[in-house]
Amino acid sequence: MAGSLILDHVDKFYGPKSAGIHAVKDFSMAVQDGEIVALLGSSGCGKTTTLRMIAGFETVTEGEMRLNERRIQDLAPAKRNVAMAFEGYSLYPPLTVRDNIAFALKGARQQRSEVDKHVDEMAELLEIGPILDRYPVSLSGGQQQRASLARALIRKADLYLLDEPMSQLEPQLRAVLRGRIKNYLIHHGMTVMFVTHDQTEANALADRIAVMEDGVLEQIASPAELKDRPANLFVASFMGEPPMNVYDATVAQNGGGMRVVVPSPNGGEAIGVDIPSESTDVQGALSIGQKLRLGVRPQSITIGQGEDQALVLSNQWLGDQTHLVIDAGEHQMIIVSYTPVKEKAGETIPFLIAPEKIHLFTFDNGDAITHGTELAK
Amino acid sequence: MSSMSLLETVIRRTLIALVLLFFLFPIFWIVLMSFQTNEQILRIPPSLFFKPTISNYTALVSGELVTAVGTLKLTFTQNLWNSAFLSVASVFLALVLGVPAAYAFARFKFRLGEDIAFTLLSFRFAPPLLVLLPLSLYFTDLGLNDTYIGLIWIYQLIALPLILWIVRGYFEDISPDIEHAYRIDGHSWAGSFFKIAIPLALPGIAAAGLLAFIFCWNNFVFALILASADKQPVTVGALAFVTAAGISYGQIAAAIVLSILPTLLLALYAQRYLVEGLSLGAVKG
Amino acid sequence: MATLELDGVSKSFKTGDVLSDVSLTTGDGETVVIFGPSGTGKTVLLRLIAGIEEPDKGDIRLDGKSLVGMASDARGVGMAFQNFALYPHMPAYDNISSPLAARGMSKERLDEKVHSIAKLLKIDHVLTHMPKALSNGQKQRTALARALVAGPQVLLLDDPLRNVDAKLRYEMRLELPRLLSEFKSTTLYVTQDYKEAMALGNRIAVLAAGGLAQIATPEDIYLRPANVEIAKLFGEPTINLLSTTIETNSKGPTVRLADLKIPLDAHYERFQGRKVRIGIRPEDIAITREAREDALKIEVVAVTPLNERVVTLFKLADGTECFASAPDIQSSTTTRRHGAAYATIKTDGILAFDHNQGQRIEATAE
Repeated sequence: MAGSLILDHVDKFYGPKSAGIHAVKDFSMAVQDGEIVALLGSSGCGKTTTLRMIAGFETVTEGEMRLNERRIQDLAPAKRNVAMAFEGYSLYPPLTVRDNIAFALKGARQQRSEVDKHVDEMAELLEIGPILDRYPVSLSGGQQQRASLARALIRKADLYLLDEPMSQLEPQLRAVLRGRIKNYLIHHGMTVMFVTHDQTEANALADRIAVMEDGVLEQIASPAELKDRPANLFVASFMGEPPMNVYDATVAQNGGGMRVVVPSPNGGEAIGVDIPSESTDVQGALSIGQKLRLGVRPQSITIGQGEDQALVLSNQWLGDQTHLVIDAGEHQMIIVSYTPVKEKAGETIPFLIAPEKIHLFTFDNGDAITHGTELAK
Repeated sequence: MSSMSLLETVIRRTLIALVLLFFLFPIFWIVLMSFQTNEQILRIPPSLFFKPTISNYTALVSGELVTAVGTLKLTFTQNLWNSAFLSVASVFLALVLGVPAAYAFARFKFRLGEDIAFTLLSFRFAPPLLVLLPLSLYFTDLGLNDTYIGLIWIYQLIALPLILWIVRGYFEDISPDIEHAYRIDGHSWAGSFFKIAIPLALPGIAAAGLLAFIFCWNNFVFALILASADKQPVTVGALAFVTAAGISYGQIAAAIVLSILPTLLLALYAQRYLVEGLSLGAVKG
Repeated sequence: MATLELDGVSKSFKTGDVLSDVSLTTGDGETVVIFGPSGTGKTVLLRLIAGIEEPDKGDIRLDGKSLVGMASDARGVGMAFQNFALYPHMPAYDNISSPLAARGMSKERLDEKVHSIAKLLKIDHVLTHMPKALSNGQKQRTALARALVAGPQVLLLDDPLRNVDAKLRYEMRLELPRLLSEFKSTTLYVTQDYKEAMALGNRIAVLAAGGLAQIATPEDIYLRPANVEIAKLFGEPTINLLSTTIETNSKGPTVRLADLKIPLDAHYERFQGRKVRIGIRPEDIAITREAREDALKIEVVAVTPLNERVVTLFKLADGTECFASAPDIQSSTTTRRHGAAYATIKTDGILAFDHNQGQRIEATAE
């Protein structure tokens, strides 16, 4: 029903080590019993390879994988007690959807009536009741995906692996199913790992998200932490829609204290944020004249107040939120507001960036220095 | 592990060699024969080692054959020229007619379109002997017997269906939106046909042309019945070596080698395109 | 002046794609978004205007002159296709210059225009590349450049951002309106993404079942949708729809939702007794732990963070599933919360739709 998964310095090479593709690099991660973890990244980042290694469809070049303290990297997939819903791991064509799902319970040796009850419950959860007696070949992509998901989730296993579990689903269904599936997973204390390139899905379902890029695990943390305390510029820019505003900046002297300044191309200051004098940690981590990168999320910028005025370049109202693009000293800034904004393109608007809302990153490799008024660890 | 695959490799290579030997042996033997005199060829047992001679080739090229019973005039070089001319001209005509037709079949859905296309293809299936007798009568009536024009016209039966079916597949593979975009840009239909459709289908057109050339070159029966002496291609011309004085195997062999050389070289050079062309449109995308 | 008029346009195919009696008039330089789920004939509409297909019935006029029967090359429109439709055997430069070459422009002027638009769309460094060497984003911008470069009177954009990755799509959503306003073309933009529609369109024309269901400004479409289907298409998560009946009491018209009576705008009074579906936008519902008199008792099923907002799936006492969404101000909230809670509803945004027909009931003075 639940299991803990440990990946210990796992490496994957395709081809010989000297000349092959290093698809997964020194990947270490510990998933708790009952936790839901997402592997998130753009295509080619190694997330699917990692999942396939855990499932047993790919060999592990180096390192170890342990499920409930059992070493599994050399075991055949069927012996790992892992349930999976993979793209291409399709339904059995000669069986109806009901039989496909029930097949997963064969090992449990339950009464037929018990099995049927389970299948019906699962079908109601995923809205596939009407298609239970159809054959896979007659189903749409979204229906097949839901049936495949049902088959994986109905089993009792130590670990559940899902590959892009909702990619084919109709947009209207996604929101409802996300909620229901999350509830189901939590209720049954299932340990789940899923792969996705869609941040929305990762954010919605996961307790923690492992952000990967180019085979490397960039950061693994809760959605909130990834948003508020990204470990580096990559994670900061990757997470969030709209993406974080990032600018080249310098640390300037400001009276007795410090001020992070984004210079304007024609001299002067485009954006400036004071470091509060109480934040001695932050001041200690910076030096006057230091070049760095300043990041601030579109949702974290206050408009309608502040000393700086900016020109509104575009104002797009999306029903429940407004997306603004403003010109702050020749630098574009994206702002999201949850209350309507009356200023139209061509008008000016005051804006304000609070010191608690900024993120500072090193200039050369993008590691995080500070988040707001706290140091990045 | 590696010794297993070594055995595998050895067995595989041997089998391939055997298959190749089986198919290529006749050609190999004929090439050998072309460098032998008649006595060497007819010797029993046949031997792989002999003193090669190029007398067969010189006889063909010079147009004279010295035999036991006298000197025979050979028209082989004329045959070679006929083959070349007929094949090139037929393919050219077939392309001029066939490429626009293929485009029409690919792009425009008109009534009976598929039926017409299939009828044209069916000409390839019909045995030429079926139509030869009435055809030769008509040809004589029309005065087309023993003319280049008549032969080129008849060769369309060989070349056109091929061009139509291969090139049509290539046109169908081009997304219509590309041509639409070109028209929307402001170019005329002719512009889109010559600047977009044809360049993009060029591999197919070349493949079809090559294949048609090979088939025209190899044709025997039409030329046999509908042409005589000075219009005959090499396929028919080779018969001249079967004389009352005996069969000049050496010269036949040399003639065969010279006949297959052009198409063999073409096929070798363009084999990739030919395979592509033959499996036309079977796999989309 | 570039006014495009569609007058009773109808078109049907054997495959079933159908447009029936579509009429709309665009203003000069306006961007009209053609919006609808897949298969509703949006692309067909653009192809009719471009001249790739001809309508079965009706007329298409540009500045009063009919385009029907005119070949594509004479219409003077620019089109960017969903699958780019770039010329694979020509480098990006020649793809873009094609409309200018067709107009017989001199080489110097042509070169100047191509470089200027390539710079604007940030593809000037890949002009010599062949299409297959370009990324999807670059292909899309090349197709856009080709459509814009000759400054056509009418610009047709067929879901140009569909095959482009999420980050670039967002970037283009911000850039496109400014780009289009610079070129002053009358633009018809097809999309299935409602956010794109609201961001880009001066007006949105919603196509449903082959006909125009509503054509209005983004604000009107969102706040005053013509029917329940349109209300469901705009907004994420989808609008909550609850079946109930309009009742009245001494304080005015109300609707009952589970155990709560929600007051309605006084103008609904004359619809008393009418069976309706009430539409409440998720952003108008707030979830709280504390009981309040005017709050609904609910059970939270799941809390799903969603791009800086938090979406809560919850159930009413009668089991109906609903969504609430709120800005995620304190992101430290645990997302595993579920169980009993309360929901308060902002009532001024409530929409009412006829239960059977689905059209919105206007609450205006008689």
